[in-house]
Amino acid sequence: MPTFVLTTIAALLTLCAYSFLYKDNPFYKFAEHLVVGVSAGYYLVIYYYNYIDPNVASPIFFLRRGGEAIALGGAEWWLALIPGVLGLLLYTRFFPKWGWIGRWPLAIYIGGYAGLGISPVMQSRVLEQLRANAIPLTSVTNVLLVVGLIGTLTYFFFSMKHKGILGGLARIGIVFLMVGFGASFGYTVMSRVSLLIGRVEFLLADWLHLIE
Amino acid sequence: MRATFPSLAVLITVALGAAPLCAQVAEPDSLLPVDTDPPAAPSNLAAIDLITNNDAGDRIAITWDLSPDDGAGAGDVIEYHIWRSETAGSRGDTLAVVAAGTSQHVDAAAEPGTPYYYRVASYDGTNRSTDATVGPVAGRASFFQPTRASVLALMATFFGLVLLFTRLAQRGSELFVRRIPGLNAVEEAVGRATEMGRPVLYVPGIGEIDNIMTIASLTILSHVAKITAKYETPLIVPTARSVVMSAAEEVVKEAYAEAGRPDAYNPDNIRYLSDAQFAFAGAVNGIMLREKPAANLYLGAFWAESLLLAETGFEAGAIQVAGTAMVSQLPFFVTACDFTLMGEELYAASAYLSREPKLLGSLKGSDWMKVVSITIMIVGIIMNLVGVDAFLNWFQVQ
Amino acid sequence: MRWFDRLLGIDRRWIFLAIGVAVVIPFFAPMGFPVVVTEPVRRLYDAIEELPSDSKPIFLSMDYAPATTPELDPMSLAIMRHAFRRGLPVVVMTLHPAGYGLAQRAIATAAEEFDVEYGVDYAFLGFHPGIAAVMLGMGIDIQNVYAEDAYGTPVADLPIMEGVRNYDDVPLLVSIAGSAYPDSWISFAYQPYGQRVAAGVTAVMATDYYPYLDSGQMVGLLGGMRGAAEYEVLIERHDKGVRGMDSQSVIHVFIIVLVVLGNIAYFAQRKGKRPAPQEA
Repeated sequence: MPTFVLTTIAALLTLCAYSFLYKDNPFYKFAEHLVVGVSAGYYLVIYYYNYIDPNVASPIFFLRRGGEAIALGGAEWWLALIPGVLGLLLYTRFFPKWGWIGRWPLAIYIGGYAGLGISPVMQSRVLEQLRANAIPLTSVTNVLLVVGLIGTLTYFFFSMKHKGILGGLARIGIVFLMVGFGASFGYTVMSRVSLLIGRVEFLLADWLHLIE
Repeated sequence: MRATFPSLAVLITVALGAAPLCAQVAEPDSLLPVDTDPPAAPSNLAAIDLITNNDAGDRIAITWDLSPDDGAGAGDVIEYHIWRSETAGSRGDTLAVVAAGTSQHVDAAAEPGTPYYYRVASYDGTNRSTDATVGPVAGRASFFQPTRASVLALMATFFGLVLLFTRLAQRGSELFVRRIPGLNAVEEAVGRATEMGRPVLYVPGIGEIDNIMTIASLTILSHVAKITAKYETPLIVPTARSVVMSAAEEVVKEAYAEAGRPDAYNPDNIRYLSDAQFAFAGAVNGIMLREKPAANLYLGAFWAESLLLAETGFEAGAIQVAGTAMVSQLPFFVTACDFTLMGEELYAASAYLSREPKLLGSLKGSDWMKVVSITIMIVGIIMNLVGVDAFLNWFQVQ
Repeated sequence: MRWFDRLLGIDRRWIFLAIGVAVVIPFFAPMGFPVVVTEPVRRLYDAIEELPSDSKPIFLSMDYAPATTPELDPMSLAIMRHAFRRGLPVVVMTLHPAGYGLAQRAIATAAEEFDVEYGVDYAFLGFHPGIAAVMLGMGIDIQNVYAEDAYGTPVADLPIMEGVRNYDDVPLLVSIAGSAYPDSWISFAYQPYGQRVAAGVTAVMATDYYPYLDSGQMVGLLGGMRGAAEYEVLIERHDKGVRGMDSQSVIHVFIIVLVVLGNIAYFAQRKGKRPAPQEA
């Protein structure tokens, strides 16, 4: 199909989506349903060919792994049965009588990932941050950072009532939180505007060729 | 013409005399003084078994102090030669040649358990220094990485605290959790809807059932459902996941039964709308505009649809309370809603309401872990001020 | 109707239209607002600039989907152009299923501009599922994870991968991502193996990564289209990043004006609703 036709289809779908800004209409609904359907189909294919096929389907049904043939009695063949069966067991959650079985593969999955992730995440998000924020109070920014950090942690302390010094620290924490949310909001606005700019550039340059 | 003997003799003499001169013209470099001074040797050569991640005992770290002639003194060192041998007294094979200025090298191909002898010498392009020697050193696979002891200590502290408080909760000990102000806002919103005779809209987010925010949301839904059952206020619960809808049906039905109003439970009000994010948002907006709920409660996992929902609810004039741990969505909820449960407050609210031992134990454990963290930080700051680095260095794992 | 009621009652579709016009005009009438380079971007630039010319390859992990290409594609291109200009080899990979096509397109665009050869100066390892497993696996042996490149060539046969066994041989890894991949790179590549990591993320996520930058866990950070524009300024190759900055600046000013006006109108309205004080 010529590039111009594909570009025009993409441009028209963009305009259909943006028509929602005026009001909800069938063109918008069509574009939205199309993207939901296409992305579902796309990801289905991706997940099958990259997850299910090499790890489960090929070893079990085609006796292949990474393009190489494997023996029927080989360890790779029956080892692939384990994740395959566990994955299928997850679907028992849809049957009330057998739903309890689905908790086992879920437990293995959550436990495995938790175990894999707890130590690195504890290191990267707690330990390193603690170490990096134990800074000398020799400048205004350093003082603000330490005070803000302690205040914010105090705000999320639920074991005591927020009264007295604790209450004061919590109030300082909420101020820092709000400033942080404001910055985050600003960044988000910037991000959304950038996406709009990207789409407009596509319409003007790639579709209408009004700019280079 | 016949050459005579005297002529030949003269010729040979002249040739012999001229030879050195010719030699000098052909190879002028030989007139320059030859560098016979070797550079100074490197010192303090050390080799240790390097413990790394997935340690197999195959790495040995070799360090030395730079030669005094490296960048100073004669300043003529250009590289260091490193040898490895399995026999004392023998130089063995060349392991590596590293540039001047380098004072360390890792032997990444050591055989675990084999003792090695290392030699390092500096080289100036012509001469080599005497060898610095060290050995025997053998690499061994390590079960425990001592540089990460601080990670182990921190994790043990955290797990210990959570297990302790969970155990205390299971034994029936009274664990104090302060009342979350957001819960008052939730109850006030439901009260307002009852007064106005309009429904309450409760959106449990678009996360899956195994998302911790969805689980916390369903606990709070149970509490809200008991209040709406008591005051006969309609409760609408739109969901984006079929399994969440099943769970919400169970939760609301049970809550109505506990409140003594099982007849008031309306299963048509627990609705599965769509898995698609913006289709779900559009459908919920439609409910807000058509059924005009007086109170909108958004509690759970939200993504980009959060502002779409909160904005429409604001325009419709409903009182809105939100709660999520999605940091990127909190600014939107804070802006558009009357009250927001931020981050951990959502989990604290569910622990407060349910008094489930595991939830309480996790909450209290993480609370006291915050105290430990603040203490470490303050001690670190004080140590920093007095110039003691050892404390913070212990937490450095790289 | 009082002025503040009229202001607060403006139909939002007029605001949408105004924003649309504000985006379009700078494309036809560029204003050339200056792009000031910030420290997080400069740190990444310096990290690449300081690599020796005979360095082993930089790894570029393009972990994003088409929805975020306006912000992230310019970053990927800018980093590749910088590396190619310095003669540094680049190995591209992706952990996002939708990133495969985007990576191929970006590589083709950048490679066209320089005299570079596939397999020698750059390579594409393709998509591999399993985030943590891939990152941890690469710490032991990259070829255990990526046995072949995206085109079926054994990785061991690629000249660019000679002497590159694991993170010990990778001077820098840059993750360009629209979701939490850089978090995982830091947790599973930097923390256990000491791999130097930098990131380019959407502006929404940029605030989440400043703590990593401050603590030294990350070498540098590009945030949103603005980050891409700053990098383009540093490499002196202006492209979509810089071109979008005029529209970005105009809209930001417009939004600030609206926020200020809205707040003035809001407080004026509130004051207008208060009853007048009783006279004695």
